[in-house]
Amino acid sequence: MHRPADTSGSDRTELLPPGYRVSRWEVTESIGAGGWATVHAGRLVEGDADEQEAVALKVLPTAGLAPRQARKVAETARREVEFGRRSSHPRLIRLLDTVVLSEPDHPFLDGAIVLVMERAERSLRDLLDAGVSEAEGARLVTEICEGLAHLHRSGWVHGDLKPDNILLMADGSVKLSDFGLVTELTGTHGTHGYAPPMGTFDYLPPERWKAPLGEQGVEVRPSADIWALGITIHELFASGASPFPGATPMARGAATQEYADGRAPLRLDGAVPPFWRALTADCLAPTHAARAEHTAESLLARIAERPPTETDAPAPSGRPGVRRLGRRRAAFVTLAVCAVGATIWPHVEGGTASGATAAEPPGRIRVFNADQGCRGRTDKDPQCSLGLAIDPMRPYTVDNVVPTRVWHGDELAVDCWLAAGMQIIDEADTHSAEWYRVRLPRDSGRPTAWLPAVRTKDRPAVPDCPAPTPAR
Amino acid sequence: MSGVVIHVPQGYGEVAGEPSGDAVTLRLGPGEVARFGRGSATTPVELRLDDEAISRLAGEIRVTDDHWQLSNLSTTQSYLVENPEGAGEYLRVPPRRAGAPIPFEFSRVVLPTRRNTTVAFQVFAPDHVYLDPDGMGGQWGSRTVTAYSLDETALYFLILVALCEPRLRDESPVAVPTTPQIVERLKGHPACARLTARAVSSHIDYLADEKMRISAPAESGPRREARRNGKREAIVGLVLRFGLVREEHLALLPPRTGGAAQERGTAG
Repeated sequence: MHRPADTSGSDRTELLPPGYRVSRWEVTESIGAGGWATVHAGRLVEGDADEQEAVALKVLPTAGLAPRQARKVAETARREVEFGRRSSHPRLIRLLDTVVLSEPDHPFLDGAIVLVMERAERSLRDLLDAGVSEAEGARLVTEICEGLAHLHRSGWVHGDLKPDNILLMADGSVKLSDFGLVTELTGTHGTHGYAPPMGTFDYLPPERWKAPLGEQGVEVRPSADIWALGITIHELFASGASPFPGATPMARGAATQEYADGRAPLRLDGAVPPFWRALTADCLAPTHAARAEHTAESLLARIAERPPTETDAPAPSGRPGVRRLGRRRAAFVTLAVCAVGATIWPHVEGGTASGATAAEPPGRIRVFNADQGCRGRTDKDPQCSLGLAIDPMRPYTVDNVVPTRVWHGDELAVDCWLAAGMQIIDEADTHSAEWYRVRLPRDSGRPTAWLPAVRTKDRPAVPDCPAPTPAR
Repeated sequence: MSGVVIHVPQGYGEVAGEPSGDAVTLRLGPGEVARFGRGSATTPVELRLDDEAISRLAGEIRVTDDHWQLSNLSTTQSYLVENPEGAGEYLRVPPRRAGAPIPFEFSRVVLPTRRNTTVAFQVFAPDHVYLDPDGMGGQWGSRTVTAYSLDETALYFLILVALCEPRLRDESPVAVPTTPQIVERLKGHPACARLTARAVSSHIDYLADEKMRISAPAESGPRREARRNGKREAIVGLVLRFGLVREEHLALLPPRTGGAAQERGTAG
């Protein structure tokens, strides 16, 4: 009985020797080995003057493989070739020819499929360690989006977008490559296609980790490329760091899952400039539905319209290594103590201040959360909770809040209003030094605490607070 | 990474304060935690193990990356984690050990009792990743890989190869072996001497539901057997189509004996 040799050894990474002739091209050197193929540099030795001289030769060996494995390789090649024949765009690596090697004396090479392609200088992966300036990053992302937009418009999903498959030509321009997992959108509305159950862990959208395997493979939608784009943009600006923590692709995959299930927030690296941070966050929306509104086209439009200051300025936030706390929600930014000003506020009932904590409160306010994502929720997620200060004159920090938390929509009893406490700026950039003294539930340890006025839209007519006594 | 599945067999089954003698199955996603123990009103547990020798809060299971961690919250008892397929492979988790990583895809967590018996439950970690056999070197982290990976040394893989055998040998394009046929086929394998039909069925369910996540139409009642068959056929079709089981794997099966197989072999 014939048994194929163990294919895990190094024999399969054996490369074509320099000078080896493939049809009209000749191998000059090896470039590298990918998941299923080896890539060599080649040059044209016989052809017209207007033909490209430098090419890449991607060799997919099929020898030594069991028939079904060979079929998998052939399927990969078939996808690339079919795609190459039907698609041509300046942002996609062009397939020039395909050759099947006939080498009866070299079993390893016999039957290997060689894809002859445009040659790039390097991949985006090579650029990650060094990092890029914001202006350069903007150009690269724009060109990646142009390629993706063309793919999606033509009814294809790339399926394996990652820095290794984003190539940079000698002139610096970007071209997408590796169309072995490219999938044509089918279905009545052309919304999805089916791909082989393969991918690169770090770039798989969260829904793929749970995707069922059907007869035709796994369902793939353009939003999968948008997710991979989000990871890539983050890596580009954060010197190659994934937005998801973990030492291995599996750990990062698990972190992706935790984020998508709402158990962990998205923590983007502080080195990513603000505009790109927002864009990345949209690309990394946790569900297909939320991501679907961000298409390669819409991202391109956003990039084109972004404020010019961000590209011109050297952008202090672009410094690598500067990490910012990722607590987006419920985080106040305290600027400075406001100058003490005169308190002018319409008193309703002048004399109630002293006895205000008892009986019926003078007013009620409803808590407002500037974070839109929190306003629709009713599950009292700790991420969406807001704090109440012990002392409105001191910085609004962890040791200056009461244990009782409040959420958007909560109704609080108000005693009085303070005009000039610590100035607070909320997520929507609303500034205010005003505070309300609110009553706490009976078993809270303290009878009252302070809510910043930016945390409510209500402006009840309540008395002025007496100057607060320092809490410590 | 879809997490782990915990299965408490019939008899101890009481979950989250809801008493029932039925088996309990709990799924945990990455980062999620389940506590186990005797439980009480003040110490709630997700997995209730009703035995007086077991602490109210006996331990904790936390899903981490593609595996899980066991914390032994007992101050006196050691717990054992056995690999039912590992020929006696096991780990001892001493009292008060926090977050011991468990490397097995299949685990049986065994807690001692006072009556010379044990209480045990199972934890499956189907997310373990295996690299593709036809990888060409380079950094594996950024490599394109098959996203549904199987342990080729596991019992379920042997059953899968047996399921695929007729098609791999191009004997029968339609028929997928039945459970009794698989038990019979694997009888000669040292790991399968005591393989039961029930075990084969649950391995097939595990493959379909946890490993491949096959989308099969849900049916119940008298059509159940037909659905089972549909599931088998779906598994065989998929693993062959995507090259997860290949000709070379036939070598894992014990040599074929008996006239029936031989005859079919020559006739086909």
